[in-house]
Amino acid sequence: MNRIFDGVFVDRGDFFTRNMVPGRRVYGEDLARSQGIEYRRWDFTRSKPAAALKNGIRNFPLHEGMKILYLGVASGTTASHFSDIVGLEGMIYGVDISQRVLRQIIPIAEERGNIAPILGDTRKPEEYAGLILEKVDLVFEDVASDDQIPILIRNCDKFLRSGGFAMIAIKSQSIDVVKSPKEVYRECVGELEKNFEILEKVELDPHEKHHLMVVMRKK
Amino acid sequence: MRAYIVSTIVGVFAVDENNRLLSSKAFPKEPREAAEKLKLSEIEMLDEERFVRDVLGKKGFREFIFGYRKAGVKHVEPNSPAEQFVKDNVRKLAVDAKIFSNPADLNQFLTKATIELAKVHIKKSIQRDSLVVQANGALEDLDKSINIYMERLREWYGLHFPEMDRAVSGHEKFATLVAKFGDRENVTDADVEGLKKNSMGADLEDEDIRMMQSFAGKILEMYKLREDMVSYVEGILKKVAPNLLDVAGVSLAMRMIAKSGGLARLSRMPSSTIQLIGAEKALFRFLKGKGRSPRHGIIFGHPLIQGARDEHRGKLARLVASKMSIAAKLDFYGKEYRGDKLKKELTEKAKTIVSSKA
Ligand SMILES: C[S@@+](CC[C@H](N)C(=O)[O-])C[C@H]1O[C@@H](n2cnc3c(N)ncnc32)[C@H](O)[C@@H]1O
Repeated sequence: MNRIFDGVFVDRGDFFTRNMVPGRRVYGEDLARSQGIEYRRWDFTRSKPAAALKNGIRNFPLHEGMKILYLGVASGTTASHFSDIVGLEGMIYGVDISQRVLRQIIPIAEERGNIAPILGDTRKPEEYAGLILEKVDLVFEDVASDDQIPILIRNCDKFLRSGGFAMIAIKSQSIDVVKSPKEVYRECVGELEKNFEILEKVELDPHEKHHLMVVMRKK
Repeated sequence: MRAYIVSTIVGVFAVDENNRLLSSKAFPKEPREAAEKLKLSEIEMLDEERFVRDVLGKKGFREFIFGYRKAGVKHVEPNSPAEQFVKDNVRKLAVDAKIFSNPADLNQFLTKATIELAKVHIKKSIQRDSLVVQANGALEDLDKSINIYMERLREWYGLHFPEMDRAVSGHEKFATLVAKFGDRENVTDADVEGLKKNSMGADLEDEDIRMMQSFAGKILEMYKLREDMVSYVEGILKKVAPNLLDVAGVSLAMRMIAKSGGLARLSRMPSSTIQLIGAEKALFRFLKGKGRSPRHGIIFGHPLIQGARDEHRGKLARLVASKMSIAAKLDFYGKEYRGDKLKKELTEKAKTIVSSKA
């Protein structure tokens, strides 16, 4: 196991995080042991940040103790690895609009103690503002809707501390099915540049088709 | 001296204009209770808020500013910088005020509280008002179908008795007459009596008429189903939204809940938005530069507004919307039933509006 980022490890082309709840799997991922420590394999075909790692992303601004606002947290596949990374003093505020998927994250949140599942619409940040106890260090968005850029901007205005980071998985198909992905990416990044300093862009193909991960920093 | 009093998930904090912590009072550390308190604080003065206010009162503070308008509150300033400061720094304040000794404890608490809230939300959202949303959809479908079938019946029966189409404009009555009497010679009803003799319609075989009767009978069954569905919804509304039911009536209350996306959403809408529910299309057209700005949506279906003259409708819509907003809040937060009082206030204020000169 080699550490490549805070809390992220690599072994023979696979990525891992330290399992916060030893013995437990979240989505059927493999468990691995190395020097008495248990790790969970971070499946790059199921989770977009892992796909970005696979494709060689260089900016991966997650650290122990971090507070993260996660937009579109769904059933917690990705959030569980974030939870491993930030640890007990960190916090993941996970918002999702679908009660069907959020139901599945509840048992995961219960055993981890650092995920706050919030049923809410990310277009209406004021509705869940009362549950977010601080300005966060990172806003991560994976909502796959045509207004994903304005959603990110609004939530960052409200909840991201200055100098904090934002990451978004842009899904070109959700934004415009007619235009080519490249064209959609260019327009989206253009919008993002007005609000953030862009640190890196990584395409997630072939692990996630027509997705671009953008890492940026609040000015 | 001024103090801003702000409620958060961990408790109540008071700060001055310079964001200095003046006083605080923790909520019970039982996550569900804390979550409930936070929601309640939007509509009523909590014991903890009163406590903080009284402590500061003894220290010479005179002006207390809250973020929500509620009984016992004189000064309201939503989203004040002080409120913002508290909300952005809850973790730090909670540790400073020794409500939690370390951040990890607070995390455990917050996780539990949000889980409780999510569970309550999920339960509420699926079990109760989602039924209303679905029933409303079913009713809309049913109405569309009834209309299609009725057009068919009118055209069909028109071959035999074309004059009845205009003489009987009510759909349900039309279908009843066909189902009950069949051949025009047998129809006994004041509205059509005189038209039978000189009808231009064709004389048809018994089997033709019987088929039309059977079709009309099915339509009547759909009307019956509709009726059952409305009283079913009324039953649910009595349990989940009794206040709104009184203020708006079954049909409007149901549509308000459905169009706003559920009672939770509705309860958070300001009355200016409630007034526009159902007018979204017109609003978008207006925002794109076409058409006029809509003044109201389905709220216009309220009997008080429907029955009024044009010049009073705007004012009435505002009044009805404000009462609905209060009612939806009471219902969502599961507060006491006050529908009869709200309704009385509504009718009385409406009377003054209607009798005033525009
Ligand atoms: C692609 S999935 C996210 C998968 C997840 N990020 C993971 O890797 O485990 C997109 C999620 O966004 C949610 N979503 C879509 N629109 C939303 C909105 N307006 N507010 C909140 N969540 C939304 C959907 O319910 C869905 O769960």
